[in-house]
Amino acid sequence: MVIDKIVNWARIKSPWIIHFNTGACNACDIEILASLTPVYDLERFGVLLKGTPRHADVLVCSGPVTLQTKERLIRIYNQMAEPKFVVAVGTCACSGGVFHDCYCVSGGIDSVIPVSAYIPGCPARPEAIIDGVVKLLNSLKK
Amino acid sequence: MNNEEKIKTELLQKFPYLEGKCDIIRQRRITVEVDKNNLIGLLSYLFNDLKFDYLCTITGLDIGDNLQFIYHVANKDGIVINVKTNVPKSDPVISTVTGIYNGATFYERELEDLLGARVEGLPEGRHYPLPDNWPKGQYPLRKDWKLENMNQQTKTEE
Amino acid sequence: MGIIEIPIGPQHPALKEPASFKLYLEGERIAASNVTLGYNHRGVEKACEARTYIEDLYLIERVCGICSHSHSTCFISAVEEVAKLEVPKRAKYIRTIIGELERVHSHLLWLGVAAHEIGFDTLFMYSWRDREVVMDTLEMLSGNRVNYGINKIGGVRRDISEEQKEKALKAVDALEERTKYYIEIVNSETTLIGRLKDVGKLSYEDAMRLHAAGPTARASGVDRDVRRDDPYLVYDEIPFNVITDNHCDVLGRTIVRVKELIESYKIIRFALNNIPQGDIAVRSPRRIPAGEAFSRYEAPRGEDVHYVRGNGTDKPERVKLRAPTLANFASITYMLNGGYLADAPIVIAAIDPCFSCTDRSISIKHIDSGKENIMDWESLRQYSIDWHKNRGFNAKNIQLKVK
Repeated sequence: MVIDKIVNWARIKSPWIIHFNTGACNACDIEILASLTPVYDLERFGVLLKGTPRHADVLVCSGPVTLQTKERLIRIYNQMAEPKFVVAVGTCACSGGVFHDCYCVSGGIDSVIPVSAYIPGCPARPEAIIDGVVKLLNSLKK
Repeated sequence: MNNEEKIKTELLQKFPYLEGKCDIIRQRRITVEVDKNNLIGLLSYLFNDLKFDYLCTITGLDIGDNLQFIYHVANKDGIVINVKTNVPKSDPVISTVTGIYNGATFYERELEDLLGARVEGLPEGRHYPLPDNWPKGQYPLRKDWKLENMNQQTKTEE
Repeated sequence: MGIIEIPIGPQHPALKEPASFKLYLEGERIAASNVTLGYNHRGVEKACEARTYIEDLYLIERVCGICSHSHSTCFISAVEEVAKLEVPKRAKYIRTIIGELERVHSHLLWLGVAAHEIGFDTLFMYSWRDREVVMDTLEMLSGNRVNYGINKIGGVRRDISEEQKEKALKAVDALEERTKYYIEIVNSETTLIGRLKDVGKLSYEDAMRLHAAGPTARASGVDRDVRRDDPYLVYDEIPFNVITDNHCDVLGRTIVRVKELIESYKIIRFALNNIPQGDIAVRSPRRIPAGEAFSRYEAPRGEDVHYVRGNGTDKPERVKLRAPTLANFASITYMLNGGYLADAPIVIAAIDPCFSCTDRSISIKHIDSGKENIMDWESLRQYSIDWHKNRGFNAKNIQLKVK
């Protein structure tokens, strides 16, 4: 129990994220990056961008998922160690957005893998991304 | 006489069969319609003699029984000539322009993938832009193509 | 010596977008390279045919999140030409101002990403901090940081007030000062020059032959800029210089981009000071007559072209778009060949690739080769930084003035 508490405390203080573009237009990706740079500085919450799914606790996805991305997205999700969380950034990631009826698109992230937090916006503002991440971290405290 | 008219006169002198098929739409935009057998001859003249050395892109359209290809070529003064040519859907074969415009490879691959054209003489390579596991014979930019066609095919494969 | 094959991508954290490269190595030199595109194909062109022109405008704006205004302006110019609409001058000026601000934000973004690729993270953080000034200005003028939604058929949605004009001018002044400092760094910092010079060579002849576009072409001495050659909006009224450079390498591409920033400031300043009074939009019909138009736009990355054919209804018959990155891809394999593996990240980043524009859709392939050969972008970047560090180029040691 004490161990669990310590692990949870550590996790909340330093969530490592991996970013995956499932077909976004770039806007959300750039905003995610912008929220890590000096003006917004998401790193002050201990958030660190990692390059591989095996190191990450949180999968940050942007963009609508297509039939072809599905496989790859599931693969990345499976490669992550438990417990894992998925954040959908942007309207397209939440629901498919303007691309919902395109021939290559299957819908939002939640049509493929379970999503813990939705951050809407086109693109989601850095403030919104920070708010979403902080809310996710707070929900883990319970 | 301005530049556009000069180009038009030169084209008509060189290729008399273009009579009535060469229009100046507006400033810096000229449209030419050409038979597919004369396409290469016209484009190499444009490239070599009139210095239209930049191929902006190739547009492919489905216009009923035919496929239409529009080669947008530009010169240094910003004049764009839209060279149009039609091929029947039953035999959608066109020869490659990569011999004249080296950078045309990706544009021609796009015609093959999205419209089902057959570009003769195109160098070997990966297709573009559709995914590797895209079903054969599905050309999304054809007017009669519907998403349902593909869903059915994917379902039967599953 | 055997040839080693190294697949990179498609998922890599630095570029933020999928594309995969196969590099064939002979020792440390790249003997051949192969690029796989198509990971980002969404099928926008087909979707356009099923939507009305007004819906298309918003879809086209989301083809790319960095040059969103370029695509929407290019598309709307074609539509307006088909519909024979005369757009008010004031609206054209506002479109120009937003377009140039977008170029500033895109070039600053590129400068940061390129600095990151060579391990110069201080400059990365600096230029992204400065970029926020542009983002704030764009937000003030249009209401959104990215995907501005300022265009509508027949004009623009929002006017620029006197107060906003003053604020924008102030922002431009502040940015110009910073940019001058960056130009100084690029021209004098020996480590930077050592890393970028003679890397990713593309001669004038090859740039012409392979149809390179934008800063990539201009850095090889190709004097081509749609803003001057085929003026759209109000570029025929605004004085500016086309920047070219004869380095023909990554250093040249960097110089062209930072100098273009200065030209953009000039254009923004001129446009803000000379904007005529009047309406900002005309009424547009719902149905666009039959006809066709081909429009060109100098996006931050190069020439963007759109072709629109109308058929008399409220939906287009065909929309074709070609983004600048696609035009530059023929050159990239050429530029990689013969170079060192350690230089591959910066060469690829130097064309400022934007795959969502290019592919307009999505799909991902498995990395399907033996484990020891797999190299992801991050490890390649790290390898590149270490490789150059051993040869005395450590970008981390560059001191920047703190402002």
